[in-house]
Amino acid sequence: MQDLPQCLVDGFLLGGLYTLAAIGLALSFGVVRFVNFAHGETFMLGAYGAFWASHLWGVDPLVALVPLMIVGAISGYLLFRGLSRWLIDAPHINQILVTFGLGLILQNVALISWTGNQRSTSPAYALTSLEFWQGQLVVPLGRLVACGVALALVCVLFCWLKYTEVGRASRAIAENRSAATLMGISVHRMYALTFGLSTALGVATGVLVSSIFAVTPFMGFDMLIKGFAIIVLGGMGSIAGAVAGAFLLSYGETFVAYYVPDGSGWGEGVAFALLFVILLLRHAACSDKRWRPERCHLLSTPACRSACCHWHGSAPHGSHRLNTPTSYSALQR
Amino acid sequence: MANAGLISLAHASFSGIGGYAAAIAAHTFGLPLYAALPLSILAGVMLGAFLAATTGRLSGLFFAIGTLAVSEALRVVALMVPDMTGGAQGIDVPQGLRFGPHSMAVAAAVLAGAALLLSLALSASRFHYACRAMRSGESAAQMLGLNPRRYRLGVLAISGGLASCAGGLSAWYTGFLDPGIAFSLDITIIAQVAPLLGGLYTVVGPVIGALVLTGVSEATRLGFSGTPGVGQLLYGVILVVSVLLMPHGIVGLFKRLLTRRNAAAVRSRSQLAAAHEGNHPNPSAERT
Repeated sequence: MQDLPQCLVDGFLLGGLYTLAAIGLALSFGVVRFVNFAHGETFMLGAYGAFWASHLWGVDPLVALVPLMIVGAISGYLLFRGLSRWLIDAPHINQILVTFGLGLILQNVALISWTGNQRSTSPAYALTSLEFWQGQLVVPLGRLVACGVALALVCVLFCWLKYTEVGRASRAIAENRSAATLMGISVHRMYALTFGLSTALGVATGVLVSSIFAVTPFMGFDMLIKGFAIIVLGGMGSIAGAVAGAFLLSYGETFVAYYVPDGSGWGEGVAFALLFVILLLRHAACSDKRWRPERCHLLSTPACRSACCHWHGSAPHGSHRLNTPTSYSALQR
Repeated sequence: MANAGLISLAHASFSGIGGYAAAIAAHTFGLPLYAALPLSILAGVMLGAFLAATTGRLSGLFFAIGTLAVSEALRVVALMVPDMTGGAQGIDVPQGLRFGPHSMAVAAAVLAGAALLLSLALSASRFHYACRAMRSGESAAQMLGLNPRRYRLGVLAISGGLASCAGGLSAWYTGFLDPGIAFSLDITIIAQVAPLLGGLYTVVGPVIGALVLTGVSEATRLGFSGTPGVGQLLYGVILVVSVLLMPHGIVGLFKRLLTRRNAAAVRSRSQLAAAHEGNHPNPSAERT
């Protein structure tokens, strides 16, 4: 297989970006149990933020990253506090439709305000690349920097979840909401905080890809679907799973792009093919059992999850009680 | 499909596949409209059956994601097999076979009427009650002797056939199809917003919703012809407002007005509460 090192490197760089993209979704689904179809628009807004920052004030996207993340976090927090009355514990269909609608509104406001022309930020490092082995291995510097920052943010998130009080509180809520309340954790405030964090991560992704992908009002949706595919691959609501799923997807896409004829076109379909394969496999493995993500720990690995996990259908009452009376979900409902 | 408790974002895939079936039938085989439409319906029914078989007992979010993935996957496939579908260039319906807009509108109205009759017939049948039971709880319904797989198959196949028929007709109406148009998210959005606006679990609701929505979108097209995106912005606003403030849609509002006027205030309120519980199971209410 020629070009294998190049293929591996490309897959890795893409995987870093996909990880960051999916991790916000995993956090919001894992902790808040909230399906956020507007997450793609956080990518879009982050990218536009970086673009306007560099266009109006000449600020490098990496410098604009932290302020934009803070703005994103605050907006996410406030938005969630505003909508939480309607959306926490609402049937999934409501959450999906409302966030879908919000995403539509944001997309079209962006379209009307900024037109659909493709934009891009172009910091100096995005246009050069590092070469190894006399040009046999080319690493675009822009992608390398983006991947590095993305992975750094993911590590910060991991440390936050593992070592800080607030992070541990989020994990507690992800595991068992009622018990977390008993421990004195203010669930609604944590929800808003975690949602703000997930929005901030989405904005960060947007900022990082602003120099790599074209910035248009519609860029969010494609990445959103890939993000959903990744968290389904990795197990809904698990951060480690999101990382694994992201690299799985990025390597899948890169291998298809390199080694399948016409691969760059088919590469877009890899996410959906993988998604369908996973759905089929899990369906076959668990036959008629239902899946329950409440039991999946936020930091657990896909392996232990596939051993013990069941998916949970979103029927608001009844069905999961029939499966195991002792499950945590019985406490929660 | 919402009546059976399934959130389907697959409408674009059915409509697209129906469109392509009709367009390929016309372009490659030269079939007239009345032969191409049954092919679209067949394609839709097969896709519906495929979806039912692959998604098994998935529900809620996973079903939604799965169906969305199918739409996008079909778009990629349509793009990557140019020999059959014309790829990015698209495929057109030969001019000689097409009818004028007036006859197409009549055809559309006739087919819409047929779909409405089908929906009415289904709503009075056992099928409807089975779907409602599934919406409240699939496992519980299974305990009562209902085979959820079979009803899912039925729901997906029928809904798929209808959507594909619409897609085929729309392809013939515009005369041109390419993967972006055929599988566009717009179609899914309209398919979600219209029933919600009109009244999700009623027969006449989607009709009212579709008429209102088409009116709104045409009005914005005429009024704001300069700026793209206003129509979709309105769709988004209508979607959010309908879900948050008007969960029973226009039909629900209407019914509420009627009952408030007819019955005594207390009795009408208790009737409303019972209907809300039955149609829209509320998790927080169950916790008590």
